Amino acid sequence: MFINWALQEINLKIVYYGPGMSGKTTNLEYIHSKLDPSLAGELVSLKTKEDRTIFFDFMQIEVGRIKGKKPKFNLYTVPGQVYYASSRKVILNGVDGIVFVADSQPHRMEANIETLLDLENNLKQDGHSLEKFPWVIQFNKRDLPGVDSLESLQKKLNFFDVPSFEAIAVKGDGVFNTLKSVINGVVAHVQSQL
Amino acid sequence: MVQTKKLKDGSRQIILNGTQYEGITKTLSELAVKTKASAILFADMSGQLISQRGNTEDMNTTVLSALAASDFAATAEMAKLVGEDAKFKLLFHEGEKRNVYLSNVGENFFLVVVFDVSVTLGLIRIYTKKAIQGLNQILEEEASDDLDSRDMIDSDFSTLLGDALDESFK
Repeated sequence: MFINWALQEINLKIVYYGPGMSGKTTNLEYIHSKLDPSLAGELVSLKTKEDRTIFFDFMQIEVGRIKGKKPKFNLYTVPGQVYYASSRKVILNGVDGIVFVADSQPHRMEANIETLLDLENNLKQDGHSLEKFPWVIQFNKRDLPGVDSLESLQKKLNFFDVPSFEAIAVKGDGVFNTLKSVINGVVAHVQSQL
Repeated sequence: MVQTKKLKDGSRQIILNGTQYEGITKTLSELAVKTKASAILFADMSGQLISQRGNTEDMNTTVLSALAASDFAATAEMAKLVGEDAKFKLLFHEGEKRNVYLSNVGENFFLVVVFDVSVTLGLIRIYTKKAIQGLNQILEEEASDDLDSRDMIDSDFSTLLGDALDESFK
């Protein structure tokens, strides 16, 4: 978190984390397409030719002034593929809240778990832990046939009982609820830390 | 000292007071005048833009800061691979019309200087080095007022923020 007292700005960094192709970039694209252009900055994507995120996506959103203060949210995604481990680590630098975008398809469960462990590991290096850090889970791709039941996903991934949301990010279902929840979580966390 | 609070859970909170912000902006202005740089940005290593000077109207400086921070992060990994223990202190990108000079300011901040190729690198180097000394001093100065993020984020704030988010996400 970065606070500029002179400008009364509060800047928070939120990172979308998850396995490859789970829909992290899609979340940001939907938010970008729906928000009023005065509130959302440019969406920058560092993608490969095949449309896979190579480093990160970035977008800044604002909600106007609140009690004279100007909160700004910097949203980042990480590349999901396993071999971009070091990019994932560096993007977490100074992170305030995390959205874990899980793929609901059974054959991606192993990738979900592996990425969650990778996240825990990266957070640990900064002295954080999944147990105490503000984060939420989004179970994405709920519209696909043969997806795992919500109960099964909760059991396998949500072992800290963090807020969770079902989503169909391509259609926007669940996208804003997820974002709102993580922002609330971050603000509540900051208050509890003081 | 710029208030860098370590919260209970290990997360970092940076608070910049008014005097520091003015000092930083003044230093950037002076650097801009001396070097004739097109744009100068001061940001933190998480990618957060703090202050900017020069002709930045047509430049998306928010994104530029995020990219510059990742540039440092990526090259820090590169440094490790080639057996360099510390991060690289400065990065230089040479273009046909414009160059970009990036230099770290302490552990947590960095400076981005965008300048025309007509300006010599030596000049940028000398004045940037001086500016960094000035910036380090400002960042280390004892904060006269004890700023508390409690005054910034109270419970009222959360409720109002929730409403504002609902409004924006309609």
